[in-house]
Amino acid sequence: MNNSIIQILLIVLAPVLGGLIYGVERKVKARMQRRIGPPVLQPFYDFLKLMDKRKMMVHSTHAFLGILHFISLWFALAVLIMGGDFILIIFLHLLATALIILAGFSTRSIFSHLGANRSAISILAYEPVLVIIAISAYMLTGSFDVSALYASDVPVLFKMPLAFIALLMILPIKLKKSPFDISEAHQEVVGGVELEYSGIFYEAVYTAKWLDYIFCYLLVFMFAGNNWWLGLLLVALTFIYINALDNSTARVNYKQMLRFSFWVALPMAFLNLLMTMFHLI
Amino acid sequence: MALNKFRTKSPWILHYNAGSCNGCDIEILACLAPKYDIERFGMINTGNPKQSDIMLVTGPVTKRSRERLVDIYSQMPEPKVVIACGSCGCSGGVFRGMYNCEGGIDQYIPVDVYVPGCGCRPEQIIAGVVEALAILEKKTKDMEGSVKLHNDPIEQDGQTNRREVAAVI
Amino acid sequence: MIALIESLFLIPIAVSALLLLLPKTAARFLTILATLVLSAIAIYLFTQATDRPIQFAVSPVVNKIVMIADFSLLLFVIGAGLKQKNILVWVLAILQLLVLGYLTTKMSETQSTQFYVDKLSIFMFILVNVISGVIAVYSLKYIDEEKCSWFRKKYFISMIFWFMAAMNLLAAADNLEYFYLFFELTTLASYLFIRFRKDDESKKNALTALWMNQIGGLAILAAIVYTVLTAQYGNPSFSDLIAKGNSVAIILPFAFLCIAGLVKGAQYPFNKWLIGAMVAPTPVSALLHSSTMVKIAPFIILRISPVIKGTPVATVMIGLTAFVFVAAAIGALAQDTFKKILAHSTIALLALMILMAAVGTPVAVTAALILMLFHGLSKCLLFLNAGVLEHVFHMKQTSDMSKLGEAGPFTALVVAVGFMSLLLPPFGAFVGKWFSIETIGTVASGFKIVAPLVLVCIATGGAVLSLLYFKVLGAMISRTGESDKVKFEHIHPIYESTLIFLLCALLICTLALPWLLPYYFTQVAADTTGLALIPVIQQGTNIYIGSVHLPLIPMLIAFILLPFGIIAGLFVRFKHVDRAKEYMCGEKVEYNFSSFYFSTDKATPYFVAIGILFFVSIVLVAFFM
Repeated sequence: MNNSIIQILLIVLAPVLGGLIYGVERKVKARMQRRIGPPVLQPFYDFLKLMDKRKMMVHSTHAFLGILHFISLWFALAVLIMGGDFILIIFLHLLATALIILAGFSTRSIFSHLGANRSAISILAYEPVLVIIAISAYMLTGSFDVSALYASDVPVLFKMPLAFIALLMILPIKLKKSPFDISEAHQEVVGGVELEYSGIFYEAVYTAKWLDYIFCYLLVFMFAGNNWWLGLLLVALTFIYINALDNSTARVNYKQMLRFSFWVALPMAFLNLLMTMFHLI
Repeated sequence: MALNKFRTKSPWILHYNAGSCNGCDIEILACLAPKYDIERFGMINTGNPKQSDIMLVTGPVTKRSRERLVDIYSQMPEPKVVIACGSCGCSGGVFRGMYNCEGGIDQYIPVDVYVPGCGCRPEQIIAGVVEALAILEKKTKDMEGSVKLHNDPIEQDGQTNRREVAAVI
Repeated sequence: MIALIESLFLIPIAVSALLLLLPKTAARFLTILATLVLSAIAIYLFTQATDRPIQFAVSPVVNKIVMIADFSLLLFVIGAGLKQKNILVWVLAILQLLVLGYLTTKMSETQSTQFYVDKLSIFMFILVNVISGVIAVYSLKYIDEEKCSWFRKKYFISMIFWFMAAMNLLAAADNLEYFYLFFELTTLASYLFIRFRKDDESKKNALTALWMNQIGGLAILAAIVYTVLTAQYGNPSFSDLIAKGNSVAIILPFAFLCIAGLVKGAQYPFNKWLIGAMVAPTPVSALLHSSTMVKIAPFIILRISPVIKGTPVATVMIGLTAFVFVAAAIGALAQDTFKKILAHSTIALLALMILMAAVGTPVAVTAALILMLFHGLSKCLLFLNAGVLEHVFHMKQTSDMSKLGEAGPFTALVVAVGFMSLLLPPFGAFVGKWFSIETIGTVASGFKIVAPLVLVCIATGGAVLSLLYFKVLGAMISRTGESDKVKFEHIHPIYESTLIFLLCALLICTLALPWLLPYYFTQVAADTTGLALIPVIQQGTNIYIGSVHLPLIPMLIAFILLPFGIIAGLFVRFKHVDRAKEYMCGEKVEYNFSSFYFSTDKATPYFVAIGILFFVSIVLVAFFM
């Protein structure tokens, strides 16, 4: 009972929480560069400001698909929080990504197209690894449900450490952080798919990015089993790792990204699968 | 409207170089760098007119760049303010009267704040932006057009079509 | 019942003959009528299906007719091979002729039944009759626009019905000799259809298809010979083979049948014929080369799955198909022609179906069946769209399609839904893929090291396919914001009605999946595998099928988001919003953009080599076991 209240609260407050994470992230990143950085509530100021802009769009379909992207991402996140089927969650997340990619392709804007193409390539880089991690988790718990992972007494991290490392490798791709931020590269493709959104329609895409934070950090949190403190610690460490990586690396091109994903991250996940399958740990 | 005050808390910047010598551009980028850190005011250099509120323009507006200037200006959603950075942007500077340049940005788009200086200093730019924020807070959401090179927007199916607001010479 | 099943064989043959004689209007009327009747019979059989398979024999005269048909067909093939100087075609045909002649001397005359209709056959009936019917109606308009004589147009429609008869017979055949004939008939249909346009490329590709499929025929004959020579098996028929297969424990004949299936399913290294077959008119590609004929491949494997399940042959086949799933998906990335992209993705998904059939647990078979149905519908939809693109918009290459978003928003929408339906929840193809991953996860311990490799292949292949679909879609759905209203194009009512019918069928099947799954697919799976029915338990909003479960609420919400979301996207209008131009750094120049390409030519020889290795090892494994 207690758990389900937390779950529902988490689902409802996910955008707020995501916004806070984003705010803290900007602050942390600034501190890493010895800057003061914006206030923690900065994302919400942005949110309120964007609400007040004159409404502008390219065409209605494009704007509508952006809103749909936000809804479907929130929905995928809800299924993750409620502890649904892992494979289904991965593909529901793919559905959300598919909608934003379709939105990017639906305009005649070159940067939007480039961004959508690059997002599609990013999917190729992270999806197989996630699926393999999901199967490893099944081998461990005997259930494809994420709730089995949340309820696990022994933290999953100790059972499949390689999967966690593989996850750490693909999280920057999923979160569009340097060095794998080709899909949104501001200096190259001006933000990619989100370029053509403005004002209140951009808000949907902007908030969806916050939801993505929650999604990714929940994947990390999952590795701690039912030990919440360990989970929070893992999330905090991952958060620092991702920001440090983002601050200290330069962007690679898509070939390097794919090569990294296929020759480093995927074999890592594969090794982990072998280990869990044959009970080597 | 209560939302007005949030405009000042998250002004997003679009930086456009209308034929500048890059002196002012370096100073603008210096503002974003750790030393001056204007991100602490919530500013981001978006590089995208559709999501920005403040347009920082440098340079005397060469003839090749004026259409682009107007086009980008027309793609910014209101409320928006324009800051002319550097002497060239304000008045044409040393290029004033030359055959290939126009005298300053205000020849083409309405400028709200002028930041003078040949190589305007970062402190000046920050002061200019703060000045601009006060103007931004008071602005309405009515459509703003350029001074020259503009067509009238068309009303269609309850929508304003401003695709071709910037005219071509 | 038997009369109805026989009518499924006889009506198409009769219609096929009549179509050649009747004038144009009557022929059109007859086509539509026959389609309705055949679909109605198939669906009636579906509702009446009982647990006991229907076995029936036909009069001995038919045996003679089959024998004569076999020989004349082979003679025709030899003639075609000699005439067009293709050595492979006639050598393979002569080989078959010799084996067949040898068989006639050996074969005993005591054969009990020739036809065996179980739920799997009825499933194939539905797939064949409904989809082929839709395609036949579609071809009425399509073939009208082809540049060929009036007679050849009639001949085309007539051949579709003749092919339907062959497919219905094949799905019901029990006797392997009969099965061989119908298999060869579909090969012949494929050959005649591919060379329909009669240009050099068509002729060349038709011969390729012919000789490659001849290997499949030869494999079936080898299976028959082996069965006849091994006395334990009794009659060379599916029912006997399956009944005795487990006790005899000699799986060489099954290995040969597998090879026949894999060749028909265009798995590497025999992928070339399916890619080449795309020169045929588009209804043919839809009918033979994606929706119905190539489904023979999973069908054969499903038929024999009770025996081959868990044997080394199945393991090798799982390895092969997992590899093909990735290789074909990667091969598709380099293509530009719309139909070739579809062909590659067909090969990939066929590989997944065969894989599931080879795994052979009830849930895996269920996944294979779901994939067969939904892949049939989606691919048929996409191929018919490819025909519309070719004839109405004159676009063949995806790089030419950048203006489609404005010229044909309806077509672009249908293509988008078609591609998404192969990939994403809540559609059946996704459910099939999802079950595949989870099933292999659950049975992994039985396959040792193969299972993780297969899982990596499926995960990667799926991601590559999604990249492919996005890449293709990206080239065609963009439109400017010049006008916010979408102006739908007017295409011919026949095109429009068939496309809308298939789209609705796809959506309805997707919505009906929670009912189809427990009440239909699992029952067919139980019937096919010969194992007990998987318990399907409904608990709240979850349906548990064996080890996997299907949560209904997420699927329903996904259904609202995806098909309806995209469709609604075309009709939604936001009022009081400014429309601004796309950002192009302020430039006034029109930019053209196209998709990106991956060059995979270097990899293809390796793929083929690996495919050959797998094929050889199937035979070797079966031989030495």
